[in-house]
Amino acid sequence: MKHLLLLVFSGLTLPLVAPTSSQAQSRVITGQVTDIDNFSLPGVNIYIKGTTTGTITDIEGNYRLEVGGTNDVLVFSYIGYLTKEVPVTAATTIDVKLEEDARQLNEVIVTGYSYVKKRDIIGAIASVSADDIKNLPVVSLDQALQGKAAGVQVTQSSGTPGGGITVRVRGNTSISASNRPLFIIDGVPVEDGALALRSFGGQNDNALSTLNPNDIESFQVLKDASAKAIYGSRAANGVVLITTKRGSKGAKTSVTFDVQRGVIDLTNKLDLLSSEELVTLQREAITNAGQDPDESGIIKGVTDAVNTDWIDQVTRQAIMEQYQMSISGGDEQTSFYSSFNYRGEEGVILNNQFLRFAGTLNIDHKVTDKLKFGNNLTISKTRNDRIKGDNFLDGVYSGAVKSLPYYFPFDEKGNIIGPGNSNYAGFPNFNPVGQAVLPRFQTNTLKVLVGVFSEYQFNEHFRARAKFSVDYNDVAEDQFEPSSTAIGGFLASVGGLGYGVNSTGTYVTYINTNTVSYNQTFGDHVVNATAGTEFLQRTETSNFVQGRLFPSDDFTYITSAGIVDAGSSNKVNSGLNSYFAEARYDYKEKYFASVTTRYDGSSRFGTNNRFGLFPSVSAGYRITNEAFFPKNTIVDDLKVRGSYGFTGNERIGDFAFLGTFASTTYNGVTGTAPANLENPDLQWEVTREANVGIDLSLFSGRLQTSVDGYSNLTSKLLFSQPIPLTTGFGSIQGNIGEVSNLGVELSVNSINFDGDFRWSTNLNIAKNDNLVKSLADTLPLFRGYTANGAGNTNIVKPGYPLGTFWGLNFLGVDPATGDAIYEDINGDGQISPDDGKVIGTAQPDFVGGITNNLSYRGFDLSVFIQFSYGNKLLNFSNTALLNSGEDINNNQVRKALDRWQKPGDITDVPRYELGNTQNNWHSNRFLEDGSFLRVKNISLGYNLPVRYVEKIKAQSIRIYGSATNVFTWTNYTGNDPEVSTLDGSTTAQGIDFFTLPQVKTMMLGINVKF
Amino acid sequence: MKKAALIILFLVTGFGCTNFLDPEPVALLIDDLALNEAKDVPSVEIGLYGAFRGIAAPKVIAGDMTADMLIHIGTFNQYREFSNKQITSTNASAAALWGSIYRTIYVANFILEKLPGVPGVTEAERNEVTATARFLRGYAYFVGVYTFGAMPITTTSDLESNRNVPRSSVEDLLAFIEADYAAASGEALPESPVNAGFVSQSAVVAARARLALYRQNWAEAEALTSQIIDSENYTLVDDYSDIVLSDFTDEAILEVGYTVNDDPGTDANYGLNDLFRGRREIIPSNQTVVALSNDEAGDRFRNISFDLSELGGVDNGWSVAKYGTADEDNNNIIVFRLGEMYLIRAEARAQQNKLFGSGSALEDVNVLRSRANGAPAVANSKEQVLQVIERERLYELAYEGHRWYDLVRTGRAKVVMTTFNTNWQDKFELWPIPLREIQYNPALQGAQNPGY
Repeated sequence: MKHLLLLVFSGLTLPLVAPTSSQAQSRVITGQVTDIDNFSLPGVNIYIKGTTTGTITDIEGNYRLEVGGTNDVLVFSYIGYLTKEVPVTAATTIDVKLEEDARQLNEVIVTGYSYVKKRDIIGAIASVSADDIKNLPVVSLDQALQGKAAGVQVTQSSGTPGGGITVRVRGNTSISASNRPLFIIDGVPVEDGALALRSFGGQNDNALSTLNPNDIESFQVLKDASAKAIYGSRAANGVVLITTKRGSKGAKTSVTFDVQRGVIDLTNKLDLLSSEELVTLQREAITNAGQDPDESGIIKGVTDAVNTDWIDQVTRQAIMEQYQMSISGGDEQTSFYSSFNYRGEEGVILNNQFLRFAGTLNIDHKVTDKLKFGNNLTISKTRNDRIKGDNFLDGVYSGAVKSLPYYFPFDEKGNIIGPGNSNYAGFPNFNPVGQAVLPRFQTNTLKVLVGVFSEYQFNEHFRARAKFSVDYNDVAEDQFEPSSTAIGGFLASVGGLGYGVNSTGTYVTYINTNTVSYNQTFGDHVVNATAGTEFLQRTETSNFVQGRLFPSDDFTYITSAGIVDAGSSNKVNSGLNSYFAEARYDYKEKYFASVTTRYDGSSRFGTNNRFGLFPSVSAGYRITNEAFFPKNTIVDDLKVRGSYGFTGNERIGDFAFLGTFASTTYNGVTGTAPANLENPDLQWEVTREANVGIDLSLFSGRLQTSVDGYSNLTSKLLFSQPIPLTTGFGSIQGNIGEVSNLGVELSVNSINFDGDFRWSTNLNIAKNDNLVKSLADTLPLFRGYTANGAGNTNIVKPGYPLGTFWGLNFLGVDPATGDAIYEDINGDGQISPDDGKVIGTAQPDFVGGITNNLSYRGFDLSVFIQFSYGNKLLNFSNTALLNSGEDINNNQVRKALDRWQKPGDITDVPRYELGNTQNNWHSNRFLEDGSFLRVKNISLGYNLPVRYVEKIKAQSIRIYGSATNVFTWTNYTGNDPEVSTLDGSTTAQGIDFFTLPQVKTMMLGINVKF
Repeated sequence: MKKAALIILFLVTGFGCTNFLDPEPVALLIDDLALNEAKDVPSVEIGLYGAFRGIAAPKVIAGDMTADMLIHIGTFNQYREFSNKQITSTNASAAALWGSIYRTIYVANFILEKLPGVPGVTEAERNEVTATARFLRGYAYFVGVYTFGAMPITTTSDLESNRNVPRSSVEDLLAFIEADYAAASGEALPESPVNAGFVSQSAVVAARARLALYRQNWAEAEALTSQIIDSENYTLVDDYSDIVLSDFTDEAILEVGYTVNDDPGTDANYGLNDLFRGRREIIPSNQTVVALSNDEAGDRFRNISFDLSELGGVDNGWSVAKYGTADEDNNNIIVFRLGEMYLIRAEARAQQNKLFGSGSALEDVNVLRSRANGAPAVANSKEQVLQVIERERLYELAYEGHRWYDLVRTGRAKVVMTTFNTNWQDKFELWPIPLREIQYNPALQGAQNPGY
C-alpha cells in the first residue's frame, strides 16, 4: 500500500504501461437482448470486457459483434436493468435476458425519520447525489447544490473562499426571522450561516464550509409540506437532509485517493480609468464647478505621473489544492467508512486563504440480527485568513477599486505607504495593499459532529431506534490591525497605536431522537408508520476582548495592549421538545396517502404559545398501475400527487417574548435598564403550503420529468411592531404580516444517447413569485443602504416582493445642461426623496441549471450551465465609480468618459461637476439587468482502461480536469452578476457594492481507487 | 444483549425534559425580577440615569443646531434639515429626543410604581431614589415642553395606557414639572454626591431656577440662583478652557457622565464627538466663529478649534472642541453649571431693573467676562443689558444646547434666525412631534404642532 501512496502523491503522473494484447482470430457473434417477459430491448450497450470494443442493440434488440476469442466476456448493460456478463463460448448466437434492476427501482431515500422508495414519493423532494457533484471543486456542501435542484436557489455572495452562501428553497418566507433552510446531517441539525462573531463588511464566513463535501453520499431537499412538516416549527424554509457515506456490509475494502490542484483567477476585472484619463475628467469636474483645477492640485503631467492599477496590486493568481483519502469496507457484521481530507485554497486577494483538515469515521455494527449499533464522527479544523470585506471603507478589494490611480502603494524604498507618510492619501484611499497584507484576521474553527445510535428490530413489523448526537463548533478569531493600517493607525479615536480584538464563540447542539416504526402488509395494502420524540438543546457562549495602544507593531496580542477597553462574555440557551408521527399507506403502489404531524415546543415562543402543531396530508395516484392503462406504451410511469400542510419558522431569536432588563453602565457604574417589552403571545411564523406535482417516466426511464406547482402563504410574520415612544419603547415583538410564494418547478432527466457514446441531460427550472401581502401598518419599511436623494435603496411594501429596489426615476440627461432629469412623482416642482418609487426587484423571473454529461468509452465530459433571468442588480458601486464628479476621491469606470460635455450631447451619463450631488442621486440609473447565463463548470475525465489499471492492482484510475465559471453571458456592466454585498440579506439582496467577483478555478485531478 | 439494547434505547429516551423550554437568559433580567429586592434598587437607578443621559446629546443639537450655531456638511439627512431650516416631522433627531424623554419617564414611572413594594429598602434610600426619579422625570418633561410644546403626560409603566395618550396642555405640564421638582426638593437627595454625574440637592435648585427663568418668575429665579451661588459649594474655574476640556470641574452642578467603558461611540444620534470630530457631520457656523472671536468672548474662543487641513469647499475648517473621544477627559455633557446660574441671575435681575452697580445684572455678567479675560460689559439701558446677556449666553454656554431655547423664550428667534437663514419660519420655534408618534398613537392624530 505504501508504494501506492507514494505513487499518488508523487504528482499527477502515473506510469502508463503499454498495452499488451494477444489477438486470436476474430469471429462474429449475434443475438437478441430481451427482458424477462421477452420484450425486446433496443439500445442495450454491449462491449467486450477489458476493451473498448462494443456495440448497441437495434430496435428489435438484435446485435452483431466481432469478438476475438473464446476468452472474451461480453458485458450487457442497460439503464434500469442489472448488468450481465456472459462468457463467449463456441456458440455464434448468444441471446440474453436482462433483469430489471430492483435496486434502482427500489432505491430508497431518507425522508426525515424514515425511508421511502424513491419512485413512490408523493412529496416534493429534490435529490442530489455524490455523483452529481463529484466534479465541482466546491469548498462547502451548500455550494454543491447550486443549480442542481429545482426550486433551490443558491447564491455565492462573493469570490471569497469559505465565504457566505445564501440558500433559499422556494423563495423567501420571512422578513425578520431567518430564511435559511434547516440543514440536517445524519439526523443532526447543524450550524449554518455565519459562525464568526465579527462583522467583515457584509461578507460572512460559512459554517457549512467546515464540512467536507466529498463525504456526502446524497442530499435530499424537502420542499413541500408533506415532506417537511415532520420538521414542524423549523421547516418553513425547507429542509436539506444530508447523508454521509457509509461502508456497505460484505464489501471488499476499497481505498480511494483523490488529488486536485488548480489555479484561481478573477472572472472579470473592472475597466477603470488610467491616471491620465482620470486627471482630465477631474479637471473638467473642477472647472465645471467654477473652480481652478490647478489650485486644487490636479495638474496634468504632474498628478498623472504615477499610474497604478490597484486591482492588479491587490490580486494574484491563487492556488487551490485538495488531497482526499477514503477507505470503506465491511464484513457481514461490521462496515465502515473513513476519510481524511485536506484542502487549501488561496483567495485571489493577497493574504486571503482558507484551509481545512477534516476526518470522518462512520461505523455500523450488527450485534445480532435484531440489534444494530452505529456511529458517525466528523472532526474538522479550518483556518481562514480573512481580509476586510467590501462594505468597509478600508476594505481591500473595495479600496483597490476606488483608489485613485495616481497614488502608489509603495515608497521609493519599497515599503508600504501607511499613515504618517506624506504620500498616504487617507480617507477614502487607505492603501489597499497595506490593508490586505498588514493586518491579521485569522478565524479558526473546530467542528466535531458526532452521533451514536442503536436500533432494535423487535419483529418484522416493529423497529425502535435511538440516537444521541452532538454538533460542537468552536470559533476563535484573532485580529490585529497595526499602526500602519487605517484602523490601527489613521483613525484618531483608536489612538493610532494598533488595534486588536480576540473573540471566541462556542455553539453546541445536543440532540436526542427516539423513533418507533411499524410496517405491515395486508394483501395489497401496505402501511408504514413512525412515531418519535426529539429533544434538542443549543448552547451558545461567546467572549471577546479588545485592546489598543500597543507599544509597537511587533506586539500584536492583547497582552501587550496599553489599554484593554472593551470585552464581554455571554451565554444563550435554547431548547426544543418535539413529538412527531407519520403514517403512509399504499394500495398496489397505485394509491398513496400519508399523514404527518409534529408537535413542537420551543423556548423561543411566548408562554401562551409554547407548543405548536404542524400537520400535513398528501395523496398520490399512479395511473400507470391501473388495469386500463395500456401496457408497453412509451409511458412507463405516471404519477400525480398533491399535499397540503403547515410548517413553522422558530428562528425568531431568543427571549424575544420576555419583558426584560439588560445591563447598562452610566458614569462608570453598572446597572440595569429596560431592554424589551413582554409579549407572552409571541409565536412561530406559520407557512401554509399546498403542492401539486406530476412525475412522468418515458422510454423505459430514459426520460424522467417532474413538474411541481405550489402556493405557500406565510403568516404571523415575526415583526418588530412599532409602537409610540410614549410607552418608553419603540417597538414590541409581534406576529403580524403575510408573505406569499407561488411557483412552478420543472426538472427533466434524459438519456439522449446510450451505448458507447452516452449523453444525458439534467435540466431544472424554477419560477417563484414572492409577494409581501401585508405588514404591521401601511408605513413602508425602508431597508438596504442609505441612498442619497432617495432615502434608502430598498423597500418592503405590500404588493411587492422582498428585495424590491427603491429610488428616483431617472429620465435621462438634459442635452442642454447635462444635468440628470428625474421624474417629479408628486408634482411639487422639485425633486426630493418624496419622489422615490419602486424601481425593480432582485427576484428573478426564473432560475435554473442544465448539466450535460457525455461519455465515450473511457472519456467523460460534463458541462454545467447555470442561469438566472429577469432579476435586477443594483450597481451601487457606481454611485462612487460613476459619480458625476460629486467628489474626486474615487477612480471612475470607463463609462464615465461618455459624460455630457457640451450642449447638444446626447448621453445617459450626466455632466461631471465637483460637489454636485444631485446628478448622482440614487435612481434607476444604477439599476441593471442582472440576468446571466454562466458555464459554471466544465469537466473532462478519462478512466484508464482496466488492463492498465489492473497493472497496479487498482480498481479504477480517473484523471480529470475541471474549470469553474468559465464563460458568462450577461448585460450587467459591473464586475460580476453573481454577487451580493449584504450576504444573506433578504430585504436587500442583489446589491453590488464593491463586492469581490466570483473566481475562475482551473483544476486538474486524479482519482485512484484500490 | 437484548437487555442492554433496551436499556440504551429507553434510558436515552428519558433524557428529554421540559426544562429545555425555559432556559434562563444570562444577559437579561426578566421584568418581574428587575426590581424586587433591595439590592436591585441601585441598579435600576443607574438604568434611570442611563435613560436620562440619552436626552443630553439631542438636546445639544436642538439648542444649538435649530438655532444659528452649527451647520451641516456631512451626509446625515436629519442634520441637513436643521442646517437648512427645513425641519420635517420625520427628523430622526426629533424622534431620538422624544424617545429619550419618554424612556426616562418610563423608567422613572417603573421605579415610582415598584419601589414602595420592594422589601428591605431603608427609608433614606427610598426617599433618595424617589426624589431622583421625580427630579429626572420632571427634567425630561421640562426639556420636552420647551422643545415639542405640550406633550402627553404618562404616569405609569402600563403599555396599554401609554400607547394611547393625548397631549396635555402646556399649563398642566408645567404644573406637573413644578410638582416633580417640588417633590425632589429638600433633604432627600445628597448634598454632595460622588460626583456631578449624579443628582444633588443643588441640581434640583438649579433646575428650578432655570424653570423660573423660562416661566419669567424673575424674583424666584434670582432667589434660587443666589442660593446656589452663595452656598459656595461650587466655584467658577479660573481657566475657561477647563470647561471645554475637562469633566466634573468645580462649577459642575450636574453632568451626564461617560467613561471609557460606556462611551456612546459612533451612534449617529448620541455620539457628539463622532458628529463634531470623527465624521465631521456638523461644524460651527461662520457667524458663531466670528462671534466667539470677539473681544467680549475672550477665552470662550476655546469652544472651537481650527484645522487648516479641513478647510476647503463648504468646510470652514472649524470644529466644536467641547466633546472629546472616549480617551479624553471631556466627553460628559453639561446639564447645569455655576456659570449658567450667574447668567440666569443676571437676566432675572435685569428684568427686575437691577441693571448696574452692586448686586446687578451687569455685575453678574462681568464675573464671567473677567473669568474669561473678555472685555468688560458696557450697557446703558435695560435693552442693552438684555442684549449683553443674550450675547454672553452665546459665548459662555456655547454648544451646551441653550441658544435656540433662549431665542424662543425671549421672543428674539424670528429676528435673529431670519437673518441667519431665510428659510426660517415661525413654526421652527417648536420641533415637530415625530411623525411615527402621530401614526401609532391614536390620541395624537391631528395634534401635530402648527406648520408641520
